Order: sequence, then structure tokens, then C-alpha cells
Amino acid sequence: MSSLHTINRSPDSNLLESCIKVVSAGDAILFIEDGVYYCNSPIKLKTITETVKVYGLREDMLTRATLAKTMDSVEAIDTARFVELCCEHDKVVSWF
Amino acid sequence: MKFSLVIYAAPYSTESAATALRFAKSLVLQGHELYRLFFFGDGVHNASKLTVVAQDEINLQQQWSELIEEHNIDSVICVSSALRRGVLDQTEAKRHEFGIASAHESSEVAGLGQLVDAILHSDRVVNFG
Amino acid sequence: MTDKLTTARPAKSSITFISRSAPYGRNRANLCLDMALACAVFEQNVNYVFLDDGVYQLLKGQDGAAIQSKTLGNALETLALYGIESVYADQQSLKARSIDMADLLPGMQLIDNGAISKLIDSSDTVFNL
Repeated sequence: MSSLHTINRSPDSNLLESCIKVVSAGDAILFIEDGVYYCNSPIKLKTITETVKVYGLREDMLTRATLAKTMDSVEAIDTARFVELCCEHDKVVSWF
Repeated sequence: MKFSLVIYAAPYSTESAATALRFAKSLVLQGHELYRLFFFGDGVHNASKLTVVAQDEINLQQQWSELIEEHNIDSVICVSSALRRGVLDQTEAKRHEFGIASAHESSEVAGLGQLVDAILHSDRVVNFG
Repeated sequence: MTDKLTTARPAKSSITFISRSAPYGRNRANLCLDMALACAVFEQNVNYVFLDDGVYQLLKGQDGAAIQSKTLGNALETLALYGIESVYADQQSLKARSIDMADLLPGMQLIDNGAISKLIDSSDTVFNL
């Protein structure tokens, strides 16, 4: 079984750090809301992009003017794709 | 697929209630079933009816209510969270002798049993807080 | 928690609650507990994990009287009464906060990150607040 983890707070929250400790192979992480600021932080993301697929919610990146500097290892997706990802994984674990 | 959403976030305070609304709209648009909305904790304020917003802002409560009615979605406001926050449907308003219900008619006050029911009947439960 | 499920369902669901918030300052610890107790009342398989600041809920000697609040520590002791036996405290979170076993309420089993990820992986639904 695989999980989609969503993270909605900025790096100050250390939510990703908590999440990483309990992810399994095959899981994916989706940054939404203030979580998208993680997508501009090579240091924060370095360790995870090798092990799990990482997404960011495009609407939230556009809103915050962060899309242009989003790392290549992050795939920007829209809300419709967010719904699809929920279907592709067996469950959704929200970190907020 | 059958989805249920649990919403903990109050409208306007954080982005989460708006994210949940966009997610809900998107999933019904894609032909998925929204089995139940469960508003919990501060999330119950999303069902408030007695709200007035500036003309150039979106009225989240109104939009929730329209979505719920348009797609005939089962929408539950958790009783323990709702009563203490003043979000009462017709039944509760009458029971506690208030003149008017403060919740949109599209949502109903009920207990956590409805959350358990949603867990058991949904393919996916997604939390927004 | 008094309402009945509208649809009888024989299936048991495995539901994991990750309680990550300290008690009193916010209501998330209470919300998490309420949901878990409801699931237990309706005879689901419930796992309950205290992670990050959530381990502060486990300190012995809590007393909400000074702030006119219910004492959350007492509520946790009722987890077992509701048939929730899989209750775990994250070892790393305790260590990071200099909390010893002697500081904790009795009956707490320790868990490590690997075991938590297995628990999440094997659950049907996860609540994490």
C-alpha cells in the first residue's frame, strides 16, 4: 500500500522532517498552501527527492510567485491532478 | 471513487478551507462521488449561514452550500464542535430555544458516528486542516 | 457519539491516529482523541500513536483545574477502557524532549520510526493532527 502525504506549512514548521521519518518506499509527497515554499529549498528537499516522488500544487506556487524558482525535481500539478493522486495512492496522510 | 473530506480549518483564517473547497469541486467535476463532508472543530464555521463578506471577496460558506445543494452531498457538522461555536441547524436551534438557525440548511448537525460511517463507506478520506 | 450508524457494515477498518499536538494550547489533541474513541465505540481496529509534541500529552500529573479545563491525561487512560490497546509513544520524540519513561502515564508502549511507517502503510485510513 502506498500513501500520498500532503504538507501545508512552510519549512519553519518542520512538517517535512516529521513526515520523512515515517514515509515508505512508493509513497509521494505533495506540498500545498505554505508548504510550497519547501519546493524552493534545495537543502530541505535534497534527501527526499531521491527516495519519493515530490509534487507541488501549482495554484499555490503561482499565488506566491515561487513557481519560477521551483526545483526541477518537483512536479507542479493542479488540483485536478491532486484528486487523481489521491486515487493512485491507497490513502492520503495530511500533515498540517 | 468515493471520497469523504474532513475539514478542521475555519474559513478565512487559513487557506485550508478554500483548498478543501477547490478539491471538492474538482473531484465532483471529475465524476467521483463525494460521500460526505464532515466539518469538525473550527471547521464547523464553514457551515455558518449568517455571514456577510465584501463584494469583491468570495463567500466560502455560500460556495460550500451551493456545492452541497447542487450535487446533493451529505454534509455533516459535528455536534460537539458546532454547538459550542454557535453553529446550529433548525433542529438544534429549536431544541435550545434560539429563534433562528445559524447553519446553512444544506448541512446537518450530527455526531462522530457519521465520521466513522464515512470512513467505512469511502475509498479515500482526505483531511484539510 | 450517541448516534447509531445508518448502515450496518460487518467490515472492520484499520484506522491509525497520529496525535502530534501538545495538550491545552490548541484543541487538536482533543479532536484526535474524540475521533479515535468514536471509532472504537463502533468497533474498528484503532491504533494510536503519540508523535512530536503529542508526547507531551503523556506526562503524569497533569491537572486542568487551574485553567478550568478537562485534564487530558485522564482521557488518555480511558483509551484502554474503549478497547484501544495499540497505544504507542514515539521513542525519538520523547528523547528529543528529554522525557523519561518515569515521567509518563502507565501502559505506554514505545515505538520507533520504522514501526510507525509500517503502521501507516498497513492502515486503511490515517488521521494525523
